[in-house]
Amino acid sequence: MGSTIPRRAALAGALAVPFLARTGLAAAPIPLGAINPLTGAGGAYGPSMAKVAKALTTRINGAGGVLGRPIALDVEDSETNPTVAVEAAHKLIDVNKVVAIVGTWASACTTAVAPLCWQSHTMLFCVSGADSITKLPHHGYIIRTQPNTHLQSGRAAEFLLQKGAKRVFGLSAQTPFAVDSWNRLKEVLAGGGASGLGDIIYDPKQISFRSEIGKALDAKPDTLFLNSYAPDLEILLRETYQAGFNGKRFTFAYAATDAVLKALPASVTNGLWSFAPSPNVGSPAYGAVQAILGVNDPDPYSCQVYDHVSLVALAIGKAGVASGLAIHDNVRKISQGAGEKVSDPVAGLRLLASGKEINYEGASGPCDFTPLGDIISCKFLFQVAENQRNKTLFIS
Amino acid sequence: MIDAFLQALVNGALAGAVLALPALGFNTVYAVLRFPNFAIASLATVGAYAGWVANAVFAWPAASSLVVAFVVAGAAGAASDALALRKLRPLGAITAAIGSVALDLLLQNAIRFGFGNNPRGYDLPVFRNWQVAGIGIGPQEAEDAGLALVAMAALFLLLRFTRIGKTMRAVADNAPLAESKGIDPVRVAWVANFVGFGLAGIGGMLVALDTSLDPLTGFRVLLSIFAAAVVGGLGSIPGALAGAFVVGIGEELSTLVLAPTYRTAIGFLAILLVLSLRPRGLLGERAY
Repeated sequence: MGSTIPRRAALAGALAVPFLARTGLAAAPIPLGAINPLTGAGGAYGPSMAKVAKALTTRINGAGGVLGRPIALDVEDSETNPTVAVEAAHKLIDVNKVVAIVGTWASACTTAVAPLCWQSHTMLFCVSGADSITKLPHHGYIIRTQPNTHLQSGRAAEFLLQKGAKRVFGLSAQTPFAVDSWNRLKEVLAGGGASGLGDIIYDPKQISFRSEIGKALDAKPDTLFLNSYAPDLEILLRETYQAGFNGKRFTFAYAATDAVLKALPASVTNGLWSFAPSPNVGSPAYGAVQAILGVNDPDPYSCQVYDHVSLVALAIGKAGVASGLAIHDNVRKISQGAGEKVSDPVAGLRLLASGKEINYEGASGPCDFTPLGDIISCKFLFQVAENQRNKTLFIS
Repeated sequence: MIDAFLQALVNGALAGAVLALPALGFNTVYAVLRFPNFAIASLATVGAYAGWVANAVFAWPAASSLVVAFVVAGAAGAASDALALRKLRPLGAITAAIGSVALDLLLQNAIRFGFGNNPRGYDLPVFRNWQVAGIGIGPQEAEDAGLALVAMAALFLLLRFTRIGKTMRAVADNAPLAESKGIDPVRVAWVANFVGFGLAGIGGMLVALDTSLDPLTGFRVLLSIFAAAVVGGLGSIPGALAGAFVVGIGEELSTLVLAPTYRTAIGFLAILLVLSLRPRGLLGERAY
């Protein structure tokens, strides 16, 4: 039998080799995973997080990739459910062989996925706030861009004291951060002279919280701290209004979404305070996220995922090797220190290739991390609901 | 303490009345087709969204929107059963039940594809509670319970006095005998699915009126529906009613002695106790 390769095809193949090598397309891709809450309680954020991760990956690949290799991003849906998140992590680690997983949302999901990551030397970049996450024995394989519960709750309590709260009652969904969050809030509030500090932890999968609200109102609070996700916040706002509560209400911005405010009459939601870690508004990286999503005020989690992908690419670029261990060893070398400040990962990769040191400043903040993996500082956005929309009070 | 007890009792009764409708639907389908159809969770959500379209998009009042919820959820339930589950039923109840779980996920994601993840709100005002002798009663919840009672009464009248109701009872009692008497089991299956899932659709909309409407609205009450059906007696229509009130009131009363976090466990506890002490449920399997 003679040759089965036509001469023209063989010639075309031979001519293509230098081109493929130059563009990096011939090199094996670097597998990267994202586990985002495309559905479930975090469904308001997951799709935009995934969009940002995909857009940035495409841009990096278009500029030649990392170490001449394209990034192959695989986005999985956590359904905001730890069991599903673990299945997704197994698939990404065991099948795709990813070097890192980015964008895990909800502390329960991150906590469930974390052991799989550190056991397989896969870096995990999360947007979850529970203090317990970075206290896990992760050996440096967790980086989080979300301020931890201690930092968030302390700032929240200062805000409530500033607004004159004297008697505060907490209604908290059962989450890994519920107890830490309330304890820190209570500590700062008590230090500021507040009293009547009680709390109830509820099961967020219920369809009514009348009994819990009854118990909360028995304590005669002037302020309710609603430590909730969006679906249960909607029910709590409705039922506290029905129960005749006229005091102040305070919650997290990820729960007080525009959709929740629109789902209820303005009379029910007006005056609801909420807060969130503020992205690095005005920074070039923040502008890039604005451009990708086509909105003026991208959510903090999409900004954080932009930083996750950037940090992965830059750490690999610095190490010269694409692996979880390489990211682990190099992520702080490109995110903090005396190197040249960069906000664009493509520009950062060029600087690294020319042997320069860099300090990445991201869309979510300065991206400087403690040895445990927590961010060192960030700003917070405080807002109030007015006529079914959130209005910014201040950023500090 | 007495006030707290009475308040929990009222809250539980109102929750039980709303829960009773999907539980009745679940048992209606089980009685005729002899398998637990877990797609009821998403079909309740289908009803809730259909009612939302009628109310928020076309500005229909709540009562007429409930009719839309019934018709759309009933039609979706009957059609999805015919397309996805009919061929599985001869392979056994377990196979059909597992198929219904898959169908539930499919429907849930179809809803998500069509309406997105964000919660939706009905175009209805929210009222402050009435205070009756120190007990708070929500006007919306009271109206929901009233509407649920009307729907339940209509189901009982259908089953007791109409020809199709009698054929459904005949198939539920002894399917081979009913078929030998000329009753078409396929037609009865269509009707049972339409009525059962229609009730679930009304229940789904009533739950959404009280809480929030999103693709997981029905899923959140699935355990309570199943608990009510098992406690009352799988396949029993009055049993579903009794089971819904037992579960609804039991869950609320438990908060007087247990932290609210454990409230959902009451549903599991009720199933465990009933299956251990009275496996056929409070009112037996086929009581009407």
